[in-house]
Amino acid sequence: MFDALIDGLWLVLQWKAFSLMMVGMLLGFAVGLLPGIGGAATLALMLPFIFKMAPAEAFAFLLGMHAVAATTGDITSILFGVPGEAISAATVVDGYPMTKRGEAGRALGAALTSSLLGALIGAGALALAIPVVRPLVLTFGSPELFMLAIIGISCITSLSGAGARGQIKGFAMGLLGLLLSTIGQERQSGSLRFDMGMMYLWDGLDFVPVLVGIFAIPEIVDLAIRGTAIAGERQPENLKAGVMEGVKDTFRHYWLVFRCSVIGVFVGILPGAGGGVAQWMAYAHAVQSAKNTKDREGFGKGDIRGVLGPGAANNSKEGGELIPTIAFGVPGSGAMAILLGGFLIMGIIPGPDMLTKHLAITFSMVWTLVIANIITVVLCLLVLDQLAKITYVRGGLIIPFVLLLVFVGSYTANGQIADLIVTFIFGLLSYFMVLYGWPRPPFVLGFVLGKVIETYLFISVSRYGFTWLRHPVVITLIVLMVIIIAYPYIQQRRDRLRSPANA
Amino acid sequence: MHKGRVLFCVFLIAVAAYAVWAAVGWTFKAKLFPLTVSIPLIVLAAIQLVAEIFGKADTGEGQAVDLEFASDVAPELARRRAIRAFLWVGGFILLVYLLGFPWAVPIFVFSYLHLQSRIGLPVSAALTAATWLFFYGLFQRLLHLPFEDGVIQTWLGV
Repeated sequence: MFDALIDGLWLVLQWKAFSLMMVGMLLGFAVGLLPGIGGAATLALMLPFIFKMAPAEAFAFLLGMHAVAATTGDITSILFGVPGEAISAATVVDGYPMTKRGEAGRALGAALTSSLLGALIGAGALALAIPVVRPLVLTFGSPELFMLAIIGISCITSLSGAGARGQIKGFAMGLLGLLLSTIGQERQSGSLRFDMGMMYLWDGLDFVPVLVGIFAIPEIVDLAIRGTAIAGERQPENLKAGVMEGVKDTFRHYWLVFRCSVIGVFVGILPGAGGGVAQWMAYAHAVQSAKNTKDREGFGKGDIRGVLGPGAANNSKEGGELIPTIAFGVPGSGAMAILLGGFLIMGIIPGPDMLTKHLAITFSMVWTLVIANIITVVLCLLVLDQLAKITYVRGGLIIPFVLLLVFVGSYTANGQIADLIVTFIFGLLSYFMVLYGWPRPPFVLGFVLGKVIETYLFISVSRYGFTWLRHPVVITLIVLMVIIIAYPYIQQRRDRLRSPANA
Repeated sequence: MHKGRVLFCVFLIAVAAYAVWAAVGWTFKAKLFPLTVSIPLIVLAAIQLVAEIFGKADTGEGQAVDLEFASDVAPELARRRAIRAFLWVGGFILLVYLLGFPWAVPIFVFSYLHLQSRIGLPVSAALTAATWLFFYGLFQRLLHLPFEDGVIQTWLGV
């Protein structure tokens, strides 16, 4: 095993594999920064180029690109409030308010360092888990995956405002997200739902135009309203000091970063849950870990923990997703399904051989994740000063350029003008949501999880009737769900009892 | 009572009511999930509507985890600027529809910089050229993104 670990490192450090990894990282860096153009689409575009490569070179190229796209996606989210990737939307919620407060350097430093730690934990999990992951994945059938998605939805209680009115608004937004996720062809019976006679809606609403509209448009409108630079009229911060502060923040909250990384790995292992779910669950966990109601109030307004949690989960899930892909050939996400195509092009069949005959190649993937992330984060930390300066440029100069990125990103979803209209409609909806205090994160959670919940519910009922409710893992997850829902109420009650009025 | 907040609740109820009305005639499998989520949505939005009309004003205590708009701009000015911003965004989409991305990008960027941001002609032209080069080089030459022609080009057959 140790020999294979060293052989894997040696395979990545060969000049050709290393050079290809650097080329992949460069591509991934650009793709991550551009809103909408996802890492999965770029993997698909690059697949034809690997035919003449050796397996370790091909995986260094593809994984180098994929690992970096997840990291740099956070940069656009923090600087402009525009999610660089659909999976980096949660970073906007606290990262962008920090930028508006003149703390872009600190937010970027924290996001990148937590991403690096998350990636290292994910890679470590990949290295350690392969021999023991089989029972875990086999334990999770449709009922368990359904319950896991329900746990994701139950995070709404943490993402909504405190008090009855806050919870009503939060749950209503979650339900609206779930409702809009049902647009399009129903997977079980093939019936068309809410398609309004438009073929565009047959496949349902794509994540990218919806998420970009929900997060980017209100931020752009807010920038236009303020008429200042993104960071307001403040004097530029000491960027180097800000970045270092962000790095220190990561280590100050190391236990939160670790827990959110574990959430990312776990969600990544389970097929079909997706990276967006991992980020939002990590974000909700970060909110929930606030000591009391007062401590929680900073979230959404630029709390560093709201950047650290999603940043860590976003990258740790890469290692998690690779586990079932390598061990069973069961891809954990769309990107992993494309990577699976890479395995087949290389003539490698995922499965037990990856733990015996091709163990060195498996470890070369682990090393690629580690090395690519370290190089990217170090390089990013060196140029962050320059990137963060953009936030001090007058808004009027930035807005047309950001709008260009937003709409080209949306357009890549289906290549239709309707993508732009969807972005506009959801931008308008999101503007009123913010204006009238209806929270957007529960809406996004409902929208992202809607299809997963419906699909797994039907499979569970068709396969098991209602006996699936008696599965031990399902019962455990139900208990966990009750705890998650009840925790904010328990926390409020505890705060009330501890308040001076009751002392 | 805040008119905008009330209207937003009414909008939510209308969306959910439409979903119920549309779903009722579908097969059991197709309607189960939409009905399960839209009926509670009507109930929650109705409770909020009643609270908005008859309840105490929302104090903002324990606010949600989300963005808050700038509060240092006068509401009337903020409203005017927001409408203008949405008109620009809508205008960009209209331009893309009429002319396609390759033409819409330089026209929009130049118009926005010169007319909205009041940047001088030479600087606006230089920034427009730089943005177009970025767009052309990255999206068209490097990534080969397929951008459709606008309806005007299609109509003229060019």
